[in-house]
Amino acid sequence: MKEDYKIERVKERINYIEDVLASVAAGDIDARINSEVEDDLSGIEAAIDLLIDDLTDELKQRKKMQKEVEEKLAKIQEQQKTIFQQQSDLLELSSPVSKVWDNVLILPVIGTLDSQRTQIMMENLLEKIVETGCTISILDITGVPTVDTQVANHLLKTVTAARLLGTECIISGISPAIAQTIVHLGIDLSSINTKATLQDAMIYAMKQNQLSENVKLHSLFADSDENEE
Amino acid sequence: MNIDLHEKRIPIIKIGNFLIVSIQVDMHDKLAIQLQSQILEEIEKTGAKGVLIDISVLEMVDSFIGRMLSGMATMASIMDASVVIVGMQPAVAITLVELGLEMPGVDTALNMEKGMEMLEKRLKDDDYKLY
Repeated sequence: MKEDYKIERVKERINYIEDVLASVAAGDIDARINSEVEDDLSGIEAAIDLLIDDLTDELKQRKKMQKEVEEKLAKIQEQQKTIFQQQSDLLELSSPVSKVWDNVLILPVIGTLDSQRTQIMMENLLEKIVETGCTISILDITGVPTVDTQVANHLLKTVTAARLLGTECIISGISPAIAQTIVHLGIDLSSINTKATLQDAMIYAMKQNQLSENVKLHSLFADSDENEE
Repeated sequence: MNIDLHEKRIPIIKIGNFLIVSIQVDMHDKLAIQLQSQILEEIEKTGAKGVLIDISVLEMVDSFIGRMLSGMATMASIMDASVVIVGMQPAVAITLVELGLEMPGVDTALNMEKGMEMLEKRLKDDDYKLY
Protein backbone atom coordinates (compact mmCIF):
# COMPACT_ATOMS: atom_id res chain seq x y z
CA MET A 1 0.00 0.00 0.00
CA LYS A 2 2.40 2.58 1.18
CA GLU A 3 4.87 3.74 -1.41
CA ASP A 4 8.30 4.59 -0.30
CA TYR A 5 9.56 8.06 -1.21
CA LYS A 6 13.24 8.50 -1.65
CA ILE A 7 13.73 11.79 0.11
CA GLU A 8 16.57 12.88 2.28
CA ARG A 9 16.32 15.35 5.10
CA VAL A 10 12.65 16.09 4.41
CA LYS A 11 11.99 18.44 7.28
CA GLU A 12 15.08 20.55 6.73
CA ARG A 13 14.48 20.92 2.97
CA ILE A 14 10.81 21.83 3.36
CA ASN A 15 11.82 24.46 5.89
CA TYR A 16 14.38 25.79 3.44
CA ILE A 17 11.75 25.99 0.64
CA GLU A 18 9.50 27.93 2.99
CA ASP A 19 12.34 30.31 3.84
CA VAL A 20 13.12 30.92 0.18
CA LEU A 21 9.46 31.55 -0.68
CA ALA A 22 9.17 33.90 2.26
CA SER A 23 12.20 35.92 1.19
CA VAL A 24 10.90 36.09 -2.39
CA ALA A 25 7.59 37.34 -1.09
CA ALA A 26 9.48 39.91 0.95
CA GLY A 27 11.08 41.23 -2.23
CA ASP A 28 14.40 39.40 -2.48
CA ILE A 29 14.02 38.23 -6.06
CA ASP A 30 17.49 36.66 -6.22
CA ALA A 31 16.67 33.98 -3.65
CA ARG A 32 16.67 30.43 -5.14
CA ILE A 33 16.47 26.94 -3.67
CA ASN A 34 19.28 25.48 -5.86
CA SER A 35 19.04 22.01 -4.36
CA GLU A 36 22.08 19.78 -4.98
CA VAL A 37 20.37 16.58 -3.99
CA GLU A 38 18.76 14.39 -6.68
CA ASP A 39 15.61 12.74 -5.46
CA ASP A 40 11.82 12.93 -5.58
CA LEU A 41 11.55 16.37 -4.00
CA SER A 42 14.18 17.97 -6.27
CA GLY A 43 11.65 18.12 -9.15
CA ILE A 44 9.35 20.32 -7.09
CA GLU A 45 12.29 22.40 -5.98
CA ALA A 46 13.37 22.97 -9.58
CA ALA A 47 9.80 23.88 -10.53
CA ILE A 48 9.62 26.43 -7.73
CA ASP A 49 12.92 27.91 -8.88
CA LEU A 50 11.54 28.22 -12.41
CA LEU A 51 8.41 29.90 -11.13
CA ILE A 52 10.51 32.35 -9.17
CA ASP A 53 12.55 33.05 -12.33
CA ASP A 54 9.40 33.79 -14.31
CA LEU A 55 8.07 36.03 -11.60
CA THR A 56 11.35 37.91 -11.44
CA ASP A 57 11.35 38.50 -15.18
CA GLU A 58 7.79 39.72 -15.06
CA LEU A 59 8.59 42.08 -12.21
CA LYS A 60 11.63 43.46 -13.95
CA GLN A 61 9.67 44.06 -17.14
CA ARG A 62 6.89 45.78 -15.27
CA LYS A 63 9.35 48.05 -13.52
CA LYS A 64 10.96 48.93 -16.83
CA MET A 65 7.61 49.72 -18.38
CA GLN A 66 6.58 51.79 -15.41
CA LYS A 67 9.76 53.78 -15.67
CA GLU A 68 9.18 54.36 -19.38
CA VAL A 69 5.63 55.50 -18.77
CA GLU A 70 6.78 57.84 -16.06
CA GLU A 71 9.43 59.31 -18.35
CA LYS A 72 6.89 59.80 -21.10
CA LEU A 73 4.48 61.41 -18.69
CA ALA A 74 7.14 63.80 -17.49
CA LYS A 75 7.95 64.66 -21.10
CA ILE A 76 4.29 65.29 -21.90
CA GLN A 77 3.92 67.45 -18.83
CA GLU A 78 6.95 69.43 -19.89
CA GLN A 79 5.48 69.90 -23.35
CA GLN A 80 2.16 70.93 -21.92
CA LYS A 81 3.89 73.51 -19.78
CA THR A 82 5.62 74.89 -22.87
CA ILE A 83 2.31 75.03 -24.70
CA PHE A 84 0.66 76.94 -21.86
CA GLN A 85 3.61 79.29 -21.66
CA GLN A 86 3.49 79.93 -25.38
CA GLN A 87 -0.25 80.40 -25.27
CA SER A 88 0.02 83.09 -22.63
CA ASP A 89 2.96 84.63 -24.49
CA LEU A 90 0.86 84.67 -27.63
CA LEU A 91 -1.99 86.33 -25.80
CA GLU A 92 0.39 88.94 -24.44
CA LEU A 93 2.02 89.51 -27.78
CA SER A 94 -1.12 89.40 -29.83
CA SER A 95 -2.53 92.65 -28.60
CA PRO A 96 0.15 95.33 -28.63
CA VAL A 97 -1.13 98.84 -28.17
CA SER A 98 1.23 101.48 -29.48
CA LYS A 99 1.15 105.22 -29.50
CA VAL A 100 1.86 106.35 -33.04
CA TRP A 101 1.19 110.04 -32.87
CA ASP A 102 0.21 112.70 -30.38
CA ASN A 103 -3.09 111.59 -28.97
CA VAL A 104 -3.36 108.52 -31.25
CA LEU A 105 -3.14 104.88 -30.21
CA ILE A 106 -3.13 101.94 -32.61
CA LEU A 107 -4.16 98.39 -31.80
CA PRO A 108 -3.46 96.14 -34.77
CA VAL A 109 -5.26 92.81 -34.53
CA ILE A 110 -3.86 89.81 -36.38
CA GLY A 111 -5.33 86.34 -36.49
CA THR A 112 -8.56 84.82 -35.33
CA LEU A 113 -10.31 86.48 -32.44
CA ASP A 114 -11.89 84.59 -29.59
CA SER A 115 -13.59 85.96 -26.54
CA GLN A 116 -10.59 85.49 -24.24
CA ARG A 117 -8.32 87.33 -26.62
CA THR A 118 -10.76 90.16 -27.20
CA GLN A 119 -11.20 90.50 -23.46
CA ILE A 120 -7.44 90.90 -22.95
CA MET A 121 -7.30 93.23 -25.95
CA MET A 122 -10.02 95.41 -24.47
CA GLU A 123 -8.34 95.57 -21.08
CA ASN A 124 -4.96 96.41 -22.64
CA LEU A 125 -6.43 99.13 -24.79
CA LEU A 126 -8.37 100.76 -21.96
CA GLU A 127 -5.38 100.63 -19.61
CA LYS A 128 -3.20 102.20 -22.27
CA ILE A 129 -5.78 104.90 -23.00
CA VAL A 130 -5.82 105.92 -19.35
CA GLU A 131 -2.05 105.64 -19.07
CA THR A 132 -1.22 107.77 -22.10
CA GLY A 133 -4.25 110.06 -22.08
CA CYS A 134 -4.75 109.59 -25.82
CA THR A 135 -8.23 110.48 -26.98
CA ILE A 136 -8.27 108.62 -30.29
CA SER A 137 -7.60 104.93 -30.70
CA ILE A 138 -7.64 102.93 -33.92
CA LEU A 139 -8.59 99.27 -33.90
CA ASP A 140 -7.11 97.85 -37.09
CA ILE A 141 -8.64 94.50 -38.03
CA THR A 142 -6.95 94.10 -41.42
CA GLY A 143 -5.33 90.89 -40.20
CA VAL A 144 -8.54 89.28 -39.01
CA PRO A 145 -9.82 86.68 -41.46
CA THR A 146 -13.36 86.19 -40.18
CA VAL A 147 -15.75 87.71 -37.74
CA ASP A 148 -18.70 86.04 -36.07
CA THR A 149 -21.47 87.46 -33.92
CA GLN A 150 -19.54 87.01 -30.72
CA VAL A 151 -16.41 88.71 -32.00
CA ALA A 152 -18.41 91.56 -33.53
CA ASN A 153 -20.14 91.95 -30.20
CA HIS A 154 -16.78 92.13 -28.44
CA LEU A 155 -15.53 94.75 -30.88
CA LEU A 156 -18.67 96.78 -30.21
CA LYS A 157 -18.09 96.44 -26.47
CA THR A 158 -14.50 97.61 -26.82
CA VAL A 159 -15.55 100.68 -28.77
CA THR A 160 -18.32 101.47 -26.30
CA ALA A 161 -16.01 101.05 -23.31
CA ALA A 162 -13.50 103.39 -24.94
CA ARG A 163 -16.30 105.88 -25.45
CA LEU A 164 -17.27 105.61 -21.80
CA LEU A 165 -13.71 106.59 -20.89
CA GLY A 166 -14.22 109.70 -22.98
CA THR A 167 -12.26 108.72 -26.05
CA GLU A 168 -13.03 107.86 -29.63
CA CYS A 169 -12.34 104.43 -31.07
CA ILE A 170 -12.18 103.91 -34.83
CA ILE A 171 -12.29 100.51 -36.50
CA SER A 172 -10.26 100.28 -39.68
CA GLY A 173 -9.44 97.64 -42.26
CA ILE A 174 -12.77 95.90 -42.54
CA SER A 175 -12.43 93.46 -45.42
CA PRO A 176 -15.25 92.81 -47.92
CA ALA A 177 -15.81 89.37 -46.42
CA ILE A 178 -16.16 90.79 -42.93
CA ALA A 179 -18.45 93.57 -44.14
CA GLN A 180 -20.67 90.96 -45.79
CA THR A 181 -20.73 88.78 -42.69
CA ILE A 182 -21.54 91.68 -40.42
CA VAL A 183 -24.47 92.77 -42.56
CA HIS A 184 -25.71 89.20 -42.96
CA LEU A 185 -25.54 88.68 -39.22
CA GLY A 186 -27.61 91.80 -38.77
CA ILE A 187 -25.10 93.57 -36.54
CA ASP A 188 -25.52 97.30 -36.40
CA LEU A 189 -22.18 99.07 -36.63
CA SER A 190 -23.68 102.41 -37.58
CA SER A 191 -22.85 103.90 -34.19
CA ILE A 192 -19.19 103.13 -34.75
CA ASN A 193 -16.77 105.11 -36.82
CA THR A 194 -15.34 102.77 -39.44
CA LYS A 195 -12.66 103.56 -41.98
CA ALA A 196 -11.54 101.54 -44.99
CA THR A 197 -7.83 101.42 -44.28
CA LEU A 198 -5.44 102.23 -41.50
CA GLN A 199 -4.28 105.18 -43.60
CA ASP A 200 -7.78 106.65 -43.71
CA ALA A 201 -8.12 106.15 -39.98
CA MET A 202 -4.80 107.89 -39.37
CA ILE A 203 -5.81 110.82 -41.57
CA TYR A 204 -9.10 111.09 -39.73
CA ALA A 205 -7.34 110.93 -36.36
CA MET A 206 -4.88 113.63 -37.33
CA LYS A 207 -7.69 115.85 -38.58
CA GLN A 208 -9.49 115.41 -35.28
CA ASN A 209 -6.24 116.25 -33.53
CA GLN A 210 -5.81 119.38 -35.58
CA LEU A 211 -9.37 120.42 -34.86
CA SER A 212 -8.92 120.22 -31.11
CA GLU A 213 -5.51 121.86 -31.42
CA ASN A 214 -7.03 124.72 -33.40
CA VAL A 215 -9.66 125.18 -30.78
CA LYS A 216 -7.02 125.31 -28.10
CA LEU A 217 -4.85 127.74 -30.05
CA HIS A 218 -7.88 129.79 -30.92
CA SER A 219 -8.95 130.11 -27.34
CA LEU A 220 -5.39 130.95 -26.32
CA PHE A 221 -5.18 133.74 -28.91
CA ALA A 222 -8.61 134.97 -28.01
CA ASP A 223 -7.54 135.23 -24.39
CA SER A 224 -4.36 137.11 -25.19
CA ASP A 225 -6.25 139.47 -27.49
CA GLU A 226 -8.66 140.25 -24.76
CA ASN A 227 -5.82 140.85 -22.35
CA GLU A 228 -4.12 143.25 -24.72
CA GLU A 229 -7.28 145.16 -25.17
CA MET B 1 -24.89 127.12 3.11
CA ASN B 2 -26.95 124.47 4.72
CA ILE B 3 -24.79 121.69 5.97
CA ASP B 4 -26.56 118.74 7.47
CA LEU B 5 -24.15 117.11 9.86
CA HIS B 6 -26.14 113.92 10.00
CA GLU B 7 -25.77 113.17 6.33
CA LYS B 8 -22.70 112.64 4.28
CA ARG B 9 -22.78 115.04 1.40
CA ILE B 10 -20.79 115.15 -1.74
CA PRO B 11 -19.49 118.67 -2.24
CA ILE B 12 -20.55 120.54 -5.35
CA ILE B 13 -18.16 123.28 -6.35
CA LYS B 14 -19.06 126.06 -8.72
CA ILE B 15 -16.30 127.39 -10.94
CA GLY B 16 -17.32 129.92 -13.58
CA ASN B 17 -20.14 128.48 -15.55
CA PHE B 18 -19.55 124.93 -14.39
CA LEU B 19 -20.32 122.79 -11.43
CA ILE B 20 -17.67 120.32 -10.36
CA VAL B 21 -18.70 117.22 -8.48
CA SER B 22 -15.95 114.93 -7.29
CA ILE B 23 -17.22 111.65 -5.95
CA GLN B 24 -14.67 110.51 -3.40
CA VAL B 25 -16.64 107.95 -1.46
CA ASP B 26 -18.28 104.68 -2.32
CA MET B 27 -21.67 105.38 -3.76
CA HIS B 28 -24.67 103.68 -2.29
CA ASP B 29 -28.15 104.01 -3.64
CA LYS B 30 -29.43 106.57 -1.17
CA LEU B 31 -26.40 108.78 -1.63
CA ALA B 32 -26.81 108.54 -5.39
CA ILE B 33 -30.43 109.68 -5.31
CA GLN B 34 -29.52 112.46 -2.93
CA LEU B 35 -26.66 113.56 -5.15
CA GLN B 36 -28.95 113.60 -8.16
CA SER B 37 -31.44 116.02 -6.62
CA GLN B 38 -28.63 118.01 -5.04
CA ILE B 39 -26.98 118.60 -8.40
CA LEU B 40 -30.25 119.50 -10.09
CA GLU B 41 -31.05 121.99 -7.32
CA GLU B 42 -27.61 123.48 -7.65
CA ILE B 43 -28.06 123.84 -11.41
CA GLU B 44 -31.27 125.74 -10.84
CA LYS B 45 -29.75 127.92 -8.17
CA THR B 46 -26.55 128.87 -9.98
CA GLY B 47 -27.66 128.67 -13.58
CA ALA B 48 -24.63 126.57 -14.43
CA LYS B 49 -24.21 125.53 -18.04
CA GLY B 50 -22.18 122.42 -17.42
CA VAL B 51 -21.61 119.77 -14.80
CA LEU B 52 -18.40 117.80 -14.47
CA ILE B 53 -18.70 114.61 -12.48
CA ASP B 54 -15.36 113.10 -11.53
CA ILE B 55 -15.62 109.39 -10.84
CA SER B 56 -11.92 108.59 -11.07
CA VAL B 57 -11.84 107.12 -7.58
CA LEU B 58 -14.95 105.01 -8.02
CA GLU B 59 -13.77 101.46 -8.45
CA MET B 60 -17.16 99.88 -8.65
CA VAL B 61 -20.28 101.04 -10.38
CA ASP B 62 -23.42 98.92 -10.33
CA SER B 63 -26.37 99.13 -12.66
CA PHE B 64 -28.23 101.48 -10.35
CA ILE B 65 -25.43 104.04 -10.20
CA GLY B 66 -24.92 103.69 -13.95
CA ARG B 67 -28.59 104.35 -14.58
CA MET B 68 -28.54 107.23 -12.13
CA LEU B 69 -25.61 108.84 -13.93
CA SER B 70 -27.19 108.56 -17.36
CA GLY B 71 -30.54 109.72 -16.00
CA MET B 72 -28.89 112.71 -14.45
CA ALA B 73 -27.34 113.65 -17.80
CA THR B 74 -30.76 113.62 -19.41
CA MET B 75 -32.35 115.63 -16.60
CA ALA B 76 -29.56 118.18 -16.65
CA SER B 77 -29.78 118.58 -20.40
CA ILE B 78 -33.49 119.35 -20.03
CA MET B 79 -32.39 122.06 -17.61
CA ASP B 80 -29.96 123.37 -20.25
CA ALA B 81 -26.79 122.09 -18.63
CA SER B 82 -24.59 119.42 -20.15
CA VAL B 83 -23.11 116.70 -18.01
CA VAL B 84 -19.66 115.30 -18.62
CA ILE B 85 -18.49 112.26 -16.72
CA VAL B 86 -14.74 112.31 -16.33
CA GLY B 87 -12.04 109.86 -15.33
CA MET B 88 -13.88 106.59 -15.55
CA GLN B 89 -11.69 103.61 -14.71
CA PRO B 90 -11.20 100.91 -17.37
CA ALA B 91 -12.67 98.27 -15.08
CA VAL B 92 -15.75 100.38 -14.53
CA ALA B 93 -16.16 100.94 -18.27
CA ILE B 94 -15.92 97.20 -18.89
CA THR B 95 -18.47 96.49 -16.16
CA LEU B 96 -20.92 99.02 -17.55
CA VAL B 97 -20.56 97.64 -21.06
CA GLU B 98 -21.04 94.09 -19.81
CA LEU B 99 -24.15 95.22 -17.96
CA GLY B 100 -25.45 96.64 -21.23
CA LEU B 101 -25.40 100.17 -19.84
CA GLU B 102 -23.79 101.95 -22.72
CA MET B 103 -24.99 105.36 -21.55
CA PRO B 104 -25.96 106.83 -24.88
CA GLY B 105 -26.16 110.59 -24.83
CA VAL B 106 -23.79 110.94 -21.91
CA ASP B 107 -20.56 112.73 -22.64
CA THR B 108 -17.38 111.40 -21.18
CA ALA B 109 -13.83 112.64 -20.94
CA LEU B 110 -10.55 111.09 -19.91
CA ASN B 111 -9.80 113.59 -17.18
CA MET B 112 -11.07 116.79 -15.63
CA GLU B 113 -8.93 118.97 -17.89
CA LYS B 114 -10.26 117.39 -21.08
CA GLY B 115 -13.80 117.51 -19.76
CA MET B 116 -13.46 121.20 -18.98
CA GLU B 117 -12.07 121.83 -22.48
CA MET B 118 -15.00 119.96 -23.96
CA LEU B 119 -17.56 121.99 -22.07
CA GLU B 120 -15.83 125.24 -22.87
CA LYS B 121 -15.80 124.37 -26.55
CA ARG B 122 -19.47 123.48 -26.45
CA LEU B 123 -20.33 126.73 -24.69
CA LYS B 124 -18.38 128.66 -27.28
CA ASP B 125 -20.16 126.83 -30.13
CA ASP B 126 -23.50 127.64 -28.56
CA ASP B 127 -22.49 131.29 -28.33
CA TYR B 128 -21.58 131.31 -32.01
CA LYS B 129 -24.94 129.87 -32.85
CA LEU B 130 -26.63 132.52 -30.78
CA TYR B 131 -24.95 135.53 -32.31
